[in-house]
Amino acid sequence: MVLNPSVLLAIPLLPLLAALVAGLAGRWIGRAGAATLTILGVGASCVLSLLVFKQLVVDHAAVFNGPVYTWLVSDGIRMQVGFLVDPLTVMMMVVVTFVSFCVHVYTIGYMHDDPGYQRFFSYISLFTFSMLMLVMANNFLQLFFGWEAVGLVSYLLIGFWYTRESAIFANMKAFLVNRVGDFGFLLGIAGIVYFTGSLQYSDAFAAAGSIAGQDFHILGGHDWNALTVICICLFIGAMGKSAQVPLHVWLPDSMEGPTPISALIHAATMVTAGIFMVARMSPLFEGSDAALSFILVIGATTALFMGFLGIVQNDIKRVVAYSTLSQLGYMTVALGVSAYSAGVFHLMTHAFFKALLFLGAGSVIIGMHHDQDIRNMGGLRKYMPITWITSLIGSLALIGTPFFSGFYSKDSIIVAVEHSDIWGAKYAWFAVLAGVFVTAFYSFRMYFLVFHGEERFRHKPFPGDQGMHKEPDEEDHDHDHGHDHAHGHEHDHVHVPHESPLVVWLPLVLLAIPSVVIGGLTIAPMLAGDFFNGAIWVNPVLHPAMGHVAEEAADAAQMGWHAFVSLPFWLALAGVVSAWYLYMKRPQLATTLAERFAPLKKLLDNKYYFDWFNENVIARLARVLGAVFWTAGDRGIIDGAAVNGSAWTVGALASVVRRIQTGFLYSYAFWMVIGMALLLGWYLVGAR
Amino acid sequence: MLVQILFYAFALVLLAAALGVITVRNPVHSALCLVLTFFTAAAIWLLLEAEFLAIVLVLVYVGAVMVLFLFVVMMLDIDIEKLRSGFTHHWWLGMATAGLLALEIVGVVVARGLSPQMDMKAGATPLPAGASNTTELGMALYTRYLYPFELAAVLLLVAIIAAIVLTMRRRRGLKVQDINAQVAVRREDRVRIVKMPAEKAAAEKVP
Amino acid sequence: MITLQMLLVLSGLLFAIAVAGIFINRKNIILLLMCMELLLLSANMNFVAFSRYLGNIDGQVFVFFVLTVAAAEAAIGLAIVVVLFRLRHSINVADISSLKG
Repeated sequence: MVLNPSVLLAIPLLPLLAALVAGLAGRWIGRAGAATLTILGVGASCVLSLLVFKQLVVDHAAVFNGPVYTWLVSDGIRMQVGFLVDPLTVMMMVVVTFVSFCVHVYTIGYMHDDPGYQRFFSYISLFTFSMLMLVMANNFLQLFFGWEAVGLVSYLLIGFWYTRESAIFANMKAFLVNRVGDFGFLLGIAGIVYFTGSLQYSDAFAAAGSIAGQDFHILGGHDWNALTVICICLFIGAMGKSAQVPLHVWLPDSMEGPTPISALIHAATMVTAGIFMVARMSPLFEGSDAALSFILVIGATTALFMGFLGIVQNDIKRVVAYSTLSQLGYMTVALGVSAYSAGVFHLMTHAFFKALLFLGAGSVIIGMHHDQDIRNMGGLRKYMPITWITSLIGSLALIGTPFFSGFYSKDSIIVAVEHSDIWGAKYAWFAVLAGVFVTAFYSFRMYFLVFHGEERFRHKPFPGDQGMHKEPDEEDHDHDHGHDHAHGHEHDHVHVPHESPLVVWLPLVLLAIPSVVIGGLTIAPMLAGDFFNGAIWVNPVLHPAMGHVAEEAADAAQMGWHAFVSLPFWLALAGVVSAWYLYMKRPQLATTLAERFAPLKKLLDNKYYFDWFNENVIARLARVLGAVFWTAGDRGIIDGAAVNGSAWTVGALASVVRRIQTGFLYSYAFWMVIGMALLLGWYLVGAR
Repeated sequence: MLVQILFYAFALVLLAAALGVITVRNPVHSALCLVLTFFTAAAIWLLLEAEFLAIVLVLVYVGAVMVLFLFVVMMLDIDIEKLRSGFTHHWWLGMATAGLLALEIVGVVVARGLSPQMDMKAGATPLPAGASNTTELGMALYTRYLYPFELAAVLLLVAIIAAIVLTMRRRRGLKVQDINAQVAVRREDRVRIVKMPAEKAAAEKVP
Repeated sequence: MITLQMLLVLSGLLFAIAVAGIFINRKNIILLLMCMELLLLSANMNFVAFSRYLGNIDGQVFVFFVLTVAAAEAAIGLAIVVVLFRLRHSINVADISSLKG
């Protein structure tokens, strides 16, 4: 059977339509109207995506690869809107629409009292549209359009509370860092166009072999393999979007945005665009071992070192953010060892449990009246049971507990790295294994500090951080959590947290279910079977890692039981036990250790000085350059010489020329006669 | 022979009179020198057997234009004292230019000649016995040059109108009737109704 | 026998005198106009001479028209001088320099 193009077109366009109406006509359709419209749009998209999934995977429909609208043709390059719907695409579509739907429902509760309610719904629907265009693209131009569009919506959403200076700083940072990545991305696309004269994926993949045989001559005298350069440039784009070191600096700051978008954009979907792109371009990347090693090393570094940073964070959202960074590193590592399907599989499972963790954190934040410092929390499991259970499930999935989704995906990656032999694989194996311990440690540090132990919210040991992440309109904030208005602004007496309303915990439950089961159910067809056949291409001779993974993944249950005797399980267990010991049993020990290793702690607190470097070296350089251009170039040359200078020249010339205008009759007559005499003389001399 | 002597005499007088025009101080004397110039020119033209034009020169130029000049010179209250103060400072520059010009013209005419076909040193071919300059002129003017002739007449009309318009002045403060303005007047320009309240207080104050 | 050469030299000299007259006089506008009449006279002399020596009457017809124009121009020029005198009470050319740039 054949996929229906109208259905495919409807999937991204329904959220777009809802976004436009909610955004432009928000005032007329009201809050309920905006919410209903966008939820219907995304919901319909989700249902249709599932339908397409069924048609493609179950009914074995043909892969759809065709243009929908040709924008323009320039110099033989066709720029068009087209869809490529194959198993990889449809998996992404289902993930994006499902998580988006959950976040839409969650937003009804979380943003209930916010004046920008309709605007928020419009933005998240717009984001859904952009992400869908990105994953469904069949040419680089549409991919880039979706890429930029998600970056734009991310900017809009991070700075949603635009009156807050920290939010504006964060959204500019995100956009600018992404821009650096996009520069590399554009160079990569330009390389593709240079060699193939076309923007279509199919043409690029077909030409991969021939490009691999050619060289670029860059920087006078150095020859670089063309495919390596193109792949590295494309990956730089992925580094920006998927927050790999050193372009990772924007992700923690992006926590300035409301929690629903941290879940949607910065955990489940936008940051995975880079991973998706590399997996989609697998025919290209398979041709260049150098690029793959580059990806591997960057991913491994991110996975391990970002995990370290997660240990010292005190803001609940930051912990989850660094966790996301670390897991993105894992996905990148999988791509580097040519285990593309494992990377994408981890993308899918991670989307579910990370979104769950973020939304859970959001629920905690609501319960704590927007205090996000985990040092002020504790013992919340009695008061917020549903949040507690779902967060526990999410954390277990994250650390790779056997039989949970995260275990299957993470373990596949570790196996793949173990069996890879490209340059950097040993380092990566060490990094991912150490990362398992670190992940378990910080995850359960957060879990224990929030849900167990002493109820520190009664006395709030760190009140100074209160105003850090509050919404700006706290005064008129009318909580509908059943509190009375007596407490007003001051927080001298205790708020005992209670469970969040249905619209908040229902998405948590909805996300918890796949966090547990989806791994075991889908690993066999995806990694061992032929789910990704035709969508992802691996060179089995050069990169045998995936083959080994496939062997293990063929039987999910077997893989689960086997885990108990494998190293990662024990590392994870050690991490959990250490966290329990340091934060539940002997908390003073944690403080003592922090004092003993103070320089290390300082390094971690300053995030390896990346931010310091960016702000003080690069940004300052840019400002100095701008100032130089302004004074010398703009004021001096353009304003001074060109504009004012030409006016001054005209004036100077005019003041000389005007001496001819004596107004004196005789001088005019005189000159006329002189001219006449000269003419006569010329005639005399001989010119006829 | 006689003709040649007469020509030289007239030429000399002509040049002398022209020099007189530009050198004498009194503007009236200048004008009179100019009159002499024109007369002599007319005489030379008579020698050239262009009698109609010679008479016209005297009648029109001397009789009308020079008279007009004299009118204006005498009418304007010119300060003779200022005029007597002499020539301009750089008079030698003007003389040099004029001298250069004269040299060039004479050089062209005498040294090189104007055209290979024409012999400039020959005399004029004598005219037939009963030829009349006037008749010939008339024949040409009213047939071939009729249109320019009419245009010349219009030109003179324009000159008349221009001269009148330029110098006409209206006396200020003169009350003259403008019939058109009087006929075109409207009621609103002449009558204005002003509403005033009746003065009640005055009536009450009557003792 | 009068040659054409002599007539042309005569008119050339007359022209030069008139030009000199324009330059060396800076005080009297009326003198300016009179020098212009001299210029026209020298041109007319040329026309008549050529008309006689080429046997073509057209030269004299042209003199006719030049006389017309000269008369018209003199009239208007003097009218302007009269108006100027009314305003400035002077016929000194050096005073007329309002067009000075």
